[in-house]
Amino acid sequence: MSEATMDGFAAASAPAVPRAVVYNEVIVKKFVIAAMFWAVVAFLVGTVLALQLAWPAFNLGFSFTNFGRLRPVHTSAAIFAFGGSALFATSFYVVQRTCRARLFGGEALHNFIFWGYQLFIVMAALSYVMGFSRGQEYSEPEWHLTIFLVIVWVAYAIVFIGTVLMREEEHIYVANWFYMAFILTVAVLVLVNNVAVPISIYSAKGYTVYSGVQNALIQWWYGHNAVGFFLTAAFLGMMYYFVPKQAGRPIYSYRLSVVHFWSLVFMYIWAGPHHLHYTALPDWAQTLGMVFSIILWMPSWGGMINGLMTLSGAWDKLRTDPALRFSVTAVGFYGMSTFEGPVMSIRSVNALSHYTDWTIGHVHSGALGWVAFICFGAIYYLVPILWKRSGLYSIKLVSWHFWIATLGIVLYITSMWVAGIMQGLMWRAYDQFGFLQYSFSESVNAVHPYYVIRALGGVAFVSGALIMVYNLIMTVCSSTTERRDSAVAGG
Amino acid sequence: MFIRQETIEKNAILMLVLTLICISVGGIVEIIPTFTIETTIEKVQGVRPYTPLELMGRNIYVREGCYLCHSQQIRALKDEVERYGHYSLAAESMYDHPFQWGSKRIGPDLARVGGKYSNDWHYAHLINPQSLVPESLMPKYAFLAETPLETGLIVNHLRTSRIVGVPYSEDAIANASKDLLAQADAAADGDALLKRYPRAVQVAGKPGEPTELDALVAYLQVLGSMADLAGATPAKLKQ
Amino acid sequence: MEEVSSIVVGILVLILGFTGLVLASGALDNEMYIFGLSLAGFAVIFEIGLIKAHFDRSDAARRGGAGSHV
Repeated sequence: MSEATMDGFAAASAPAVPRAVVYNEVIVKKFVIAAMFWAVVAFLVGTVLALQLAWPAFNLGFSFTNFGRLRPVHTSAAIFAFGGSALFATSFYVVQRTCRARLFGGEALHNFIFWGYQLFIVMAALSYVMGFSRGQEYSEPEWHLTIFLVIVWVAYAIVFIGTVLMREEEHIYVANWFYMAFILTVAVLVLVNNVAVPISIYSAKGYTVYSGVQNALIQWWYGHNAVGFFLTAAFLGMMYYFVPKQAGRPIYSYRLSVVHFWSLVFMYIWAGPHHLHYTALPDWAQTLGMVFSIILWMPSWGGMINGLMTLSGAWDKLRTDPALRFSVTAVGFYGMSTFEGPVMSIRSVNALSHYTDWTIGHVHSGALGWVAFICFGAIYYLVPILWKRSGLYSIKLVSWHFWIATLGIVLYITSMWVAGIMQGLMWRAYDQFGFLQYSFSESVNAVHPYYVIRALGGVAFVSGALIMVYNLIMTVCSSTTERRDSAVAGG
Repeated sequence: MFIRQETIEKNAILMLVLTLICISVGGIVEIIPTFTIETTIEKVQGVRPYTPLELMGRNIYVREGCYLCHSQQIRALKDEVERYGHYSLAAESMYDHPFQWGSKRIGPDLARVGGKYSNDWHYAHLINPQSLVPESLMPKYAFLAETPLETGLIVNHLRTSRIVGVPYSEDAIANASKDLLAQADAAADGDALLKRYPRAVQVAGKPGEPTELDALVAYLQVLGSMADLAGATPAKLKQ
Repeated sequence: MEEVSSIVVGILVLILGFTGLVLASGALDNEMYIFGLSLAGFAVIFEIGLIKAHFDRSDAARRGGAGSHV
């Protein structure tokens, strides 16, 4: 299938005679390997954290193994290392093919992005365990690491946007709209949220310029849009290329993709204050955040519908292609999370759910179900193409991975639903004399079994990822997946 | 103004500019007013900058990721007010760089933990939480008791805080080191310290050799105790 | 393209490396010390990689291979 038929303008833009473009696939390969490496790290650290919450002895008593220092390692490894590397890999792959242009900027710049980003991740993780953190969730790297990240990010923007500008295709394909919005918005978010004054240029410690209520609002404007643009828009870009490719069908509706793209980028930005209901943030800001969060349900589901309906006429492929199963289940989880999110952003629901494990469950249905699954689907699709193999080493192992990982997610989110709602109800329960019925520690005791179940879910998810790593290594190395005919290479 | 999608998606720069406009509106509308509307921060008395020791303790609180399990934000809900105390005011965190409101309660809220327990309780609890609260999931922070507090840069900390908007006086900066040592030693003369920083709690450190644990306890003991809530009328609390 | 890119990126990384050395030399805490040294180490290894890539390209060009993008 030609790329041009996928942008909905099949008739309008008849593909010109294909010119031989040598894509830079080495950089894509590097990022795929990095993504799988960080996936395992992120899931492992997450499982350790789950065990620490079930049995605090797992904290081991060292400063650097304590929950508080490891938790940013887990979130950064999952979002920025695993998710980020997968986005670099897929965005570089997608932009070259949909623009029919070699990646802009030269290999030196591409390698700088790769090694620079990996250095950033390692240094960030190291700084957390050594005791340096900005103390704002998902935005923990101190000022010196922020500056380094910005340099790498600018290089990324130059390469990606440069490639789009050099394109041979007349139209910019929909996946690239989302990738561009992601690159641009993440830059804006980081630049605004991380403004800090160091105590000395020779010290890693800095003080953020914002304080109190403004700091809270800007942090959650950042935090929610890290979800909105890093974990949603960018992965929608991934979906818009890989789901049609895997299903062998064009995008269901071009019009829907236009409407939901613009409404998504406009509305997501407003939703941050729903993290601050009933707090010292002024009511008007809370209400604005809530209203837009609820409206946001629609553009979110626009993306889900577009992804799922692309399968129409090709649903039978789910039976034979477990990699596609990952992508489609991911879109399903995306739909579920983006329904749950607006519900939780309603003030009266939030009164119960906030500060509880319900939030943690919600985040993980998005992070594991949507982000990780769409990445798995894309990587299973990419590896045989990039390494020019005839196919995956074992389809059966993909199937095993799928079911083990799905079981892990189900254990995770159901246990967190129960734990979260129970915490919320216990904290607000009154006895017959009008006193608070439970002490805080009673609620801690009550959730212990669910924390154990959650840890089991984590173990399942890690096991699935290890199966995937084995399968991919065998795909690249095994003699059973002998090289493809070079004419087909490059998908 | 109406720009056809077909035009936009043939022009990358136009698309980027329009995307930038789209993502800017919401942020500008929500963020700017919280800086310009005066009532965003309530008019209550008593909130003061942290003492040098409290500030260092706060930095330990930030660095150890305490905010990942403890919120510092009591919501205006009946059960929360009964459990933790008066709901949190914006004014109470106006000198917090960064804010530590938190988003999850694996442990209880700490917004008003100051003065709720004795110094001795905090020392024992931080060193081994399970010795006092058997069901606690909290890691042990015994290592803080063995780590000397890094005090060499205290003046830098105060000066930088002043740059970002915390009103430390020249007097406070000049006496930073003295104040820090005085607060870390229960036997020291704390008059000058208390004059500069009312309601500061002296902790029982080894004279002249404060540990990180001393600083953290000093910080915990001031949490939520600064604002004069008795004198706060509903009119003053209106945002 | 490849040569221009190498030179521009090479200079950028050189600046980063020197910045790293300066930061490490004056570091007031372990984090800044390790960050500075890592940045300098990163720069050294990256520059070696650039030099290697340069000669690999000129080797390929001399052999008349298709690998040349100069």
